[in-house]
Amino acid sequence: MRLRIGGEVRTGRAVDLRGVGVEPSAVAAAIRGDGSDASVSISCPSPGPVHEYVGVIRPEMTLSVRSALAAAARSRGHDAPQDDELASVRERLDAFDAHDSSDLALADARRRVADASGAETEARERVATLQGRVQALRETNRDSERLRDAEAELADATRRLSDRETERIAAEQTLVRAREQARAVREDRRERLRLRDRADNLRRTAREHLAGLVREEFEAARERAPGDADSDGEATDSVASALAVARIAALGAPVVVACDRFESAEAAARWLDAPVVRA
Amino acid sequence: MLLVVTYSKAARQTLRNVCNAHDDAVVQRFGRAALFDSTHLGAFLALRLRAKHDADVQVERTAPFNEFADAPDAIREAATAYERREHSSTPYSKFAAGTDHPDPGEMADREL
Repeated sequence: MRLRIGGEVRTGRAVDLRGVGVEPSAVAAAIRGDGSDASVSISCPSPGPVHEYVGVIRPEMTLSVRSALAAAARSRGHDAPQDDELASVRERLDAFDAHDSSDLALADARRRVADASGAETEARERVATLQGRVQALRETNRDSERLRDAEAELADATRRLSDRETERIAAEQTLVRAREQARAVREDRRERLRLRDRADNLRRTAREHLAGLVREEFEAARERAPGDADSDGEATDSVASALAVARIAALGAPVVVACDRFESAEAAARWLDAPVVRA
Repeated sequence: MLLVVTYSKAARQTLRNVCNAHDDAVVQRFGRAALFDSTHLGAFLALRLRAKHDADVQVERTAPFNEFADAPDAIREAATAYERREHSSTPYSKFAAGTDHPDPGEMADREL
């Protein structure tokens, strides 16, 4: 690697930046090539997926060991038997249109049916009331003018009822069509969900398979990882695991080592068999 | 009852959370679907899911099925007769051929 910091240039497989006052995360960003800290820049091979797990090794780190091991196995050229199916599942997922997931048309159609049914019921009740009144007036047969008025009102209400019925039927037909469309869209979604679950499952199985390929080697490396006399417990364990992952992985880009486990940057680079920036 | 069916991972997860939190309003759970009580609480939970996940949540209202009132006699009799068939390997279409039992295509085209 070729590392430039301030006005100074350092080259080699191991660079020690202790005492320079640069953050390990800034160095990692520079390795990724997306550093905002312009004072550090590094020319080196691009980091691979393993770097997401062990690109910076520091005491407060946490590590998802299985995922890291799977990435390490891949870095060494291992494949998983699930790769082909996973690729085809992904292809089928990509083929789905990213259609609008809104239910607005259907919700609107439902509301119209509810409104139209309410209006129809009201109109029907009005007709029933007027029918009763007309019937009563006919029976008493005294007030012909009030009877005529009531009959006219009834005719009007009957017409209105017929209109409301037509509207309700139209609204129902619209709803039926909207439901049919929604059903087709849901078929798509159901298939997409099934494929997503399948992809997750394949990824998990592939990860387990790949991690299994290097696990023994990893356990042995972790046993031999240089210890830290000052600390123990979980944090220590994460650092030891990360060092072991970095050791068994094939790494082209530098690892940022921000823990006191090695005498020198060179010693770290030798043990990890990878370029190292000590920060 | 209210049948709630989800169509995305996020909606399915919310359904699980809702079911866990409101066990008393849940009649039955089936993976990415569930049956809620026909109560205001059931409707509230279903609508919350829909408000959050829109078209990834389908809500249907179920009705009890009375085979004596809702299905024609011929359908009920065909089902009973088929389940009493002599050879379990006989497919229904073959079983129904040449009898008074309705054929599958005919049944598929008729609304209940």
